[in-house]
Amino acid sequence: MNMSKVVFGFFVLLAVTLNFGFFLGDIDNPEHHDVYELFAALVVSLIATVLKFGERSQMGAILLASSLVVNLHLLAAALVWTISVHVIEVGLTPRVMASIVSLSGGALLANLVSLVLLTLDTAGLSRK
Amino acid sequence: MSRHVHKSLVFLFLRRMRMPLVVLIAAYAIATVGFTLIPGVDDQGNPWRMSFFEAFYVVSYTGSTIGFGEVPYPFSQGQRLWTMVSIYLTVIAWLFSIGSIVSLMQDPAYTRALRRARLAWKVRNLNQPFYLVCGYGDTGRMLTRALTDRGHQVIVVEQNQEKVEALEVVEFLTPVIAFCMNANLPDNLIEAGLRSRWCAGVIAVTGEGHVNLKVAISATLLNHKVTVYASADTRNDADNMRSFDTDYVINPVDEYVRRLDLAIDKPDLFRLYHWLNSGPGARLTHATAIPRGKWIVCGYSRVGRAVYQLLQHRGMNVTVIHHDPEQAGCPPGTVRGRGTQAEELDAAGIADAVGIVAATSDDADNLSILITARALNSELFHVVLENGLSSHALFRAAEPQFLGQPSMVVAGTILSRISSGLVEPFIALLLQQDNDTGRNALARFLRHQSNHPPEFSSGRVSNRRSPALARALSAGQRITVGNLLADPSDWRQRLHLEVVMIRRQKDDILFPADDLPLEMGDRLLLAGRDGEAQRLQAVLENDQRLEYLLTGKDRQQGLFWQWLERRSQG
Repeated sequence: MNMSKVVFGFFVLLAVTLNFGFFLGDIDNPEHHDVYELFAALVVSLIATVLKFGERSQMGAILLASSLVVNLHLLAAALVWTISVHVIEVGLTPRVMASIVSLSGGALLANLVSLVLLTLDTAGLSRK
Repeated sequence: MSRHVHKSLVFLFLRRMRMPLVVLIAAYAIATVGFTLIPGVDDQGNPWRMSFFEAFYVVSYTGSTIGFGEVPYPFSQGQRLWTMVSIYLTVIAWLFSIGSIVSLMQDPAYTRALRRARLAWKVRNLNQPFYLVCGYGDTGRMLTRALTDRGHQVIVVEQNQEKVEALEVVEFLTPVIAFCMNANLPDNLIEAGLRSRWCAGVIAVTGEGHVNLKVAISATLLNHKVTVYASADTRNDADNMRSFDTDYVINPVDEYVRRLDLAIDKPDLFRLYHWLNSGPGARLTHATAIPRGKWIVCGYSRVGRAVYQLLQHRGMNVTVIHHDPEQAGCPPGTVRGRGTQAEELDAAGIADAVGIVAATSDDADNLSILITARALNSELFHVVLENGLSSHALFRAAEPQFLGQPSMVVAGTILSRISSGLVEPFIALLLQQDNDTGRNALARFLRHQSNHPPEFSSGRVSNRRSPALARALSAGQRITVGNLLADPSDWRQRLHLEVVMIRRQKDDILFPADDLPLEMGDRLLLAGRDGEAQRLQAVLENDQRLEYLLTGKDRQQGLFWQWLERRSQG
C-alpha cells in the first residue's frame, strides 16, 4: 500500500462527497445549502489540485485539468455568495441561491469525471 | 530534447511545491473557519459571528503580517486568542513554503538544469548563422576569439566546468553561448543547436580524438547542410573522418610536418603558407633556411616520429633521443634519455649537429632541451614543439627558429578554411608551386600589409551576387581583374586587396594577371586588408560606382545633376 496514493485518493473522494453534499437539496432554498460545506469543498478541492501537480502521465494531466475546472466553479460560487451578501447586500434570494448551487453542480460534474478517471486508472493498474 | 528539459523543470518545480502549498492552504482554511466559529460582539453589544468573507479578510491581512487591527468590530477575547493562533499558523506556513522555494532555487542540480534550459532557449531564438565549437581548450579559445572578432555568433560546448567559467568572464565582441556538457553525446549537440537551420559549421577541437570523431559523425548524420571541421590526432582517426566525408580534417602532426617540409625546400612559400594559416594573430616569420646535415630529434612521440621520417626521407643524418627506446620502437642508434642533460646531447653528437628538434610531450622539457643545446652548440637550428599555450611567453623568449604549436596550427588552418570554400583548393594549388611563385605572392601581399595576415573573402560574378558587374558584362563591356581592384573613392589608387584565385568552370587560375578579363560565373577568392573586400562588394552592386571605376568619371544621379553635367560639358 502506498501512503501517498491513499492521501491522494482520500482528497479526490472527499472533494466529490463534500461537493455532492452541498449540491443536495432544493436549488433555490438557502436552508438546504450550508456555507461551511461550500468552504470545505473549495479547500479540499484546492488541496486535491495541488496534489495533482507535477504528474507527468496523460491521466495526471486530465485529472489536473478537471480539478482546475472544479476550483473555478467553486470559486465562482463563493464569489457570487460573497458579493451578493456582503457587497451589494441583496441577501440570499432564491435567484442568487440557484446560481450558487448550479455553479456547484458544474463543479460536481467535473469532480465526478475526476473520480471516474481515478477509478479507471486504479482498475488499469490492478490488471497489470 | 531541450523543450523536454524545460518541461521537466516545470514539473520538478510543481512537484517540489506540493507540500508547501498544501500546508499553506490548510493553514489558511483552519484560520478562516476558526474565525467564523468564535463568538464576538458588534458595536451595539449584540452577539455576532464573522462571515467567511470577514474571516478570510482578517486572515489575509494577518497571514501576510500586514495587520490592520480588529475589523469590523473590536474583537472579543476569544477572537483575540484565535488571532494569535492564526498568526503563528499562517506565518509559519509562509516561512515553510518560501524556504522550500529558496532551497529549490539553490539546488545545484536545479540551477544547472535551469541554466541549460535558458541557454537552449537562447539557441532556439538565434536568428543568424552560428558556429558550434566543441571543446574550449587552447584551440577552441583561439577559434572562439577569432570568430567572434569577425562578428560570427559562436556556441561553445565544453565539458570542463572551470573552462566554461573562465569563458564566461571573458568579453567577446558577440556574446558567446557556452554549454557545460559532454560533446560526445549527440543529444547534447542537438540541444546546442546542431540541427538549427542557422548552424553554419561544427568545429570539433576537443582534446580527445575519439570525441572529435564522434562529433564529426554526429554532425554529418544529423545535419547534412552543416560544414564540419575536425581535428584528428592520429592518421587512423583522420582517415576515418574522411571516410564519411567530413568537410575538413586537420591533423596537427601532418600539418606540422607539412610546414617543416615546406621550410626545407621552399622557405618563402613556407612563410606565405604559415602566415595565411596561423590565425589572425599570426606574424610573418623571418626568412629561414633549414640547414642540411646532422639532426637530433628529442622525443619519439607522434610528432617526433613524423619529423624523424621527414628528415630521414630528405637524406639527413638523424639521431633520436628517447627515454624508453625499446617501447617506442625507436630506430637503431637511439640515445636513452630525455635530451635535457648535456651528456645525453653529447652522446647524440650535438657538437657536429646542425639542428635539433625538441618534440617531447612536456613543454618544460622542450624548453630545457632548447636551452641546454644552445649552450653546447650556439650554431644549432632549433625546432620546438609547444604542446600547450600556458607557457607561450617562455617559448617566445627562448626564440626558436621554428616553433610548432598544434593548437595554433589547427585553429589557423580551420579559420582560413571558414572564410571561403575556395581557400582549400587555393592552398592545394599554392603548395604545388615553386618557391619563386611563393616569394612573388608574398611580395604582392606585403604591398598591402606588413605583419597582420591578409583576410580571405570570396566573390562571384553573377546576377545575384554582383548585379552591376553582371549587367556591365552582359552589355559587352570588357572588365579586367585590375579594374575591380581600383579604389572606389579614387580610381587611380588601388585597393589593398588581391584576387588570389579565380575559379572558372572547372579551372582554377592562381594569381590572375591584372589584365585578365572577367567572365560571367567566375568565382573570386580575394585576400587583403580587413574590410577592403566590403568596399569592393559595394562596387559590384552599384552601377554608378562601377562606371566610376571603369571610366574614372562620376556619373551624377538625378535629373538635375545630369542636366548640370551636360551643360558643363557644353
